[in-house]
Amino acid sequence: MKPPAPETFEGQILALLPSLRRYSRSLTRSDSDGEDLLQDCVEKVLARRAQWRGLNLRGWVLTIMTNLYRNQRRTIVRGNTVDIDGAIDVAAPEASTDPLERSRLEDALNGLSEDHRAVLMLVVIEGYTYQEVADMLDIPLGTVMSRLSRARQQLAEHMKSDNVITLRRPK
Amino acid sequence: MNAADQPVTEADLHAYTDGVLAGADRERIEAWLRDNPEDAARIAEWQAQNAGIKAMFSGYEKSRPGDADMIGKPPTISPWSKRLAAVAATIAVFAAGTLAGHYGPALFEHPQLQLTAQETFPKEAQNAFLVYASEVRHPVEVFANEEAHLATWLGKRLAIANLKVPDLTSLNYHLVGGRLLPVDGKPGAMFMYENQTGERLTVLVGRNTANKTTSFRFASADSVETFYWIDGELGYAVTGEISREELRKVAEECYRQFPS
Repeated sequence: MKPPAPETFEGQILALLPSLRRYSRSLTRSDSDGEDLLQDCVEKVLARRAQWRGLNLRGWVLTIMTNLYRNQRRTIVRGNTVDIDGAIDVAAPEASTDPLERSRLEDALNGLSEDHRAVLMLVVIEGYTYQEVADMLDIPLGTVMSRLSRARQQLAEHMKSDNVITLRRPK
Repeated sequence: MNAADQPVTEADLHAYTDGVLAGADRERIEAWLRDNPEDAARIAEWQAQNAGIKAMFSGYEKSRPGDADMIGKPPTISPWSKRLAAVAATIAVFAAGTLAGHYGPALFEHPQLQLTAQETFPKEAQNAFLVYASEVRHPVEVFANEEAHLATWLGKRLAIANLKVPDLTSLNYHLVGGRLLPVDGKPGAMFMYENQTGERLTVLVGRNTANKTTSFRFASADSVETFYWIDGELGYAVTGEISREELRKVAEECYRQFPS
């Protein structure tokens, strides 16, 4: 179909899609879950367009996505699969990254609660300030800080080198 | 007050990590870190986390070919209803095609629809039907009286948790049984059904490496008709020597019953 004109609401959402895709994937455990969340979010945003106050569209959409994610995670039970169709399209991990470290980090992220993960991603991936995150999620600044702190502590705990067990063959 | 006298809080350390401090604030933390190696180590750890997280997800910031459709499509309630709508649309096309007679094959030959594995799939389904449906005594390996075993066994071979054997009794077809057979070089499952008059049809389930989701397709060879579709990791084909209309009902019923 014909793409919407850039100045329309649809056109602005379309322009945001790549960064929305990145955020949705950063919240979820697989490419397919990320795409599902993105699609659900876009549908919701289009249906609720009348509620947008005309300012900071991206922040508004990310808030909707975060809430959708928090609600959904309680009901969705899915395998940790990567759909091949999506995977082709996805950037390969940086060649320099140790794949084992990467998968440990992924495990660590998957161990975070939804609330902690969302705060961490809004700060690290989306580059929002702590106050902006507080406003977006409608929580006090102190809560943002404690969630961020807790998330980092939990990741560090999970990534500690003594959590790696070296396999030895019995003699 | 001298900025250097302010105590450094954990919030400051986070802010430093996330690069939101500038100028004097930043220098104050740097001075503190020189004297406090534990905090310096914490920050190094957090910065490594940040770098790892960014590397992991930044590649997803991309547009995709279907993006405009995502914006333009009418709102739907669930993925399930999206699929039903797709099925309904496809059925409408097929109905039109059947009316026009020669249109069906033309649609089927449309090149953009096909991938190699998807092309061979209906052929494999037809072959399996032709070989096994004509068997009188040994059409299946496991008969319907062991339906639970059949489901567990084939589920295991295809690596499908909770594989369900479709129940087609509402369409007056009862299960004869099933067998394991190769589909596209991998273990696949075939279920056979029979109606009161002994007419048979088969339902084939195979692993689909392309992992695409398609709408319903229709293939016809001599008098053997096949409806097939691909749903993520699995491909399905319903084959029989019965009317398209009847076969379509079977396909819809199977689609409803197979987990998506």
